[in-house]
Amino acid sequence: MKKIKVLFLTLIITFSFAKILKADEDLNNKIYKNLRCLVCQGQSIADSNSDFAQTIKSVVKDQTKNGMKEDEIYSFLSEKYGDWILYKPPLKNKSYILWALPYIFFIIGAFIIFFILKKTIKIRKY
Amino acid sequence: MLSETGHLFIFASTFLSLSLIFFSIKEIKGNKKSSFPVIVSFSKFQLIFTNLSFLTLMGGYIISDFSIVNVYENSHSSKPLIYKISGVWGNHEGSLLLWINVLVIFSFLFFKKNNKHNKEFSLFTLVFQNILILGFFIFLITTSNPFSKIFPIPLEGLGLNPILQDPALAIHPPLLYLGFVGSSIYFSAALSSLLTKFSGKDFGTIIKPWVLISWLFQTLGILVGSIWAYYELGWGGYWFWDPVENSSLIPWFLMTALFHSVLVLEKRNGLYLWVIILSILTFTMSVTGTFLVRSGILNSVHTFANDPTRGLYLLIFLSLMVFLSLYIFYRYAPSENKKFELFSKEFFILTNNWFMSFFLITVLIGTIYPIFLEVLTNQKISIGPPYYNTVLAPFLIPVLFLMGYGPKSSWISSKPVKEKNILFILVVSTLLSVILIYFLNNKNFLINLVLIFSTYLVLQTIFDLYKSIKKKHVLNYSSNYSSFFSHLGFGFLIFFISLNSIMSIEHDFNLKIGEKKQLKNITINFKKLDSFEEKNYQKIVGEIEVINAQEKTTEVLKPEIRVYNQPETITYEASIKSNILSDTYVTMSNISKENIYNIKFQKKPFMNMIWLSTILIVLGGSFRILTRKSL
Repeated sequence: MKKIKVLFLTLIITFSFAKILKADEDLNNKIYKNLRCLVCQGQSIADSNSDFAQTIKSVVKDQTKNGMKEDEIYSFLSEKYGDWILYKPPLKNKSYILWALPYIFFIIGAFIIFFILKKTIKIRKY
Repeated sequence: MLSETGHLFIFASTFLSLSLIFFSIKEIKGNKKSSFPVIVSFSKFQLIFTNLSFLTLMGGYIISDFSIVNVYENSHSSKPLIYKISGVWGNHEGSLLLWINVLVIFSFLFFKKNNKHNKEFSLFTLVFQNILILGFFIFLITTSNPFSKIFPIPLEGLGLNPILQDPALAIHPPLLYLGFVGSSIYFSAALSSLLTKFSGKDFGTIIKPWVLISWLFQTLGILVGSIWAYYELGWGGYWFWDPVENSSLIPWFLMTALFHSVLVLEKRNGLYLWVIILSILTFTMSVTGTFLVRSGILNSVHTFANDPTRGLYLLIFLSLMVFLSLYIFYRYAPSENKKFELFSKEFFILTNNWFMSFFLITVLIGTIYPIFLEVLTNQKISIGPPYYNTVLAPFLIPVLFLMGYGPKSSWISSKPVKEKNILFILVVSTLLSVILIYFLNNKNFLINLVLIFSTYLVLQTIFDLYKSIKKKHVLNYSSNYSSFFSHLGFGFLIFFISLNSIMSIEHDFNLKIGEKKQLKNITINFKKLDSFEEKNYQKIVGEIEVINAQEKTTEVLKPEIRVYNQPETITYEASIKSNILSDTYVTMSNISKENIYNIKFQKKPFMNMIWLSTILIVLGGSFRILTRKSL
């Protein structure tokens, strides 16, 4: 009986959470967040009030209006300003290592744990 | 006058630090006449003098003694008292002095606590800690002297950067420093433990509280920094994967891995070398972080006052630290042969360390990769939130699951936990999440999975807690409460961060005074604009009414544009109406020379829940410290 009560309580709480404002996917905002404001100290276009940010925002707005895709906008901007403007480095020569390294280390970790376990199992046999 | 006094204290402490190294080595070698009482009293005086030097600098700030360059450059007589005080650590020189103070405080406390029972071990620790203290004192005196004088004495100071004039930021650096620098003590203890061939189990027991304390402060420091960024920087964001944020997160991962491993060391006398490595790495990473920040290599909001000689000094110091540790490690590390059974608690802790290392390495790579790339190929790239989210988020799923499952396992045992309820809870949480996801209409598969597993972690932990209270295991398992709360807090944290990222609303538009903007159910009414004079700034306050037709609520928000006079800076103050479920967040900025204002309206759900979850994590940790019989 208690379990059911707990379950109901959780359900009620969940539903009341769900009633709160739903967010609409805003492509422009997403793009702003992925661009660096080149004249600021470590801020994105979305977070900056600078004139540069305003300009980029209006450029992005126009481009999405004209039906350009997200990736096209990124490559357009990086051609103009360099990859420095993109917070997500595109997969290229110079960033293969960047994207691969974390996974390589993760796999190395797996091997280490595996060998520790294997050693233990061996010891147990003798 | 204060400048001379300050110099005196600094030189006295430096001298004491040298003497402590000298006498401790002498004592370890074992002379006929013991110098132990001298060491005890010297370490006390070192604490007193170092603290006095800091208080002297603070005095300079309080009475606005502009004959000291540091005070002149970073303070102003019209500043409120609290920001005069926090100005002490709002700049490179002062914060370095604070850094040294923490080194000395930890050194003193650790020595006082342990010198009775483990004399040789604590003497060696004292030597290493004082080598660090000495190194930083030399750094302070040669490149960053906070007591340098200026002549002729200026009448007024230049003032403190206004975005630093904030209560959260007044306590953010000291908290972080207690974490960062607190890790120095187990760095020294680890080296000492290798040299003295100290028992691993005892080493674990001794450093555990220190690891926990530094972890607590580190967590709090990061939290306060996040809160500050949220309301002060006007982004509406709380974490930006900024390189400097990352360099506070890297030691945090290490500390988290470390205090889990220390448990294995304490209970099962295993993982000794790994604990040593982690202890050494934590402080090394803290110094690396400081080097990256202070050398000005990184482009970040945190970069203040940088100077190549400082960077060079820190780099040399860091290399020496690393080489010394490597040498001692290879020369003295004992061999280890420990058994680990699959499904035992120590196995899950090992898994925890595996994931922590992965998180740590990813963040580290993301932080330093652009630097190397630029040096080697002269190409500049940025690595920001999308990179970290893409790489890290998928790995949260196993972590969330294991955090619920792992604590149920027992030491040594090789059998999986036999409980039907795991599957049951997993099913329930999936059901609940699916309902939630349906209502939110979220199509991001990864976030949905994270939601399911964070719900699982929360439910599983609550269920376990409930069960253990029912069985009245309260007394026997008091330390387990700590992991209950921390893991529960983490589950909530990820749950609310995910919801926040799905449900946040953001609109950006231009308005004139008196105009309205209609967004779906919300009307935004730009009612008026007022101008006020404050003590050290002038502010323009907008009055913005937010009418929500659906919820039938009206909120009035007052974002500000502030023009500070000393130094002349414009800042934008967000106005936030915060309640337990959702924050309304408005910032306003002027568009050059027109009477149109750019208004950024945001709805940020569950911000308070995010902060509270983090506090729950911290509470869990403090619980473990408080329930110990002795520290």
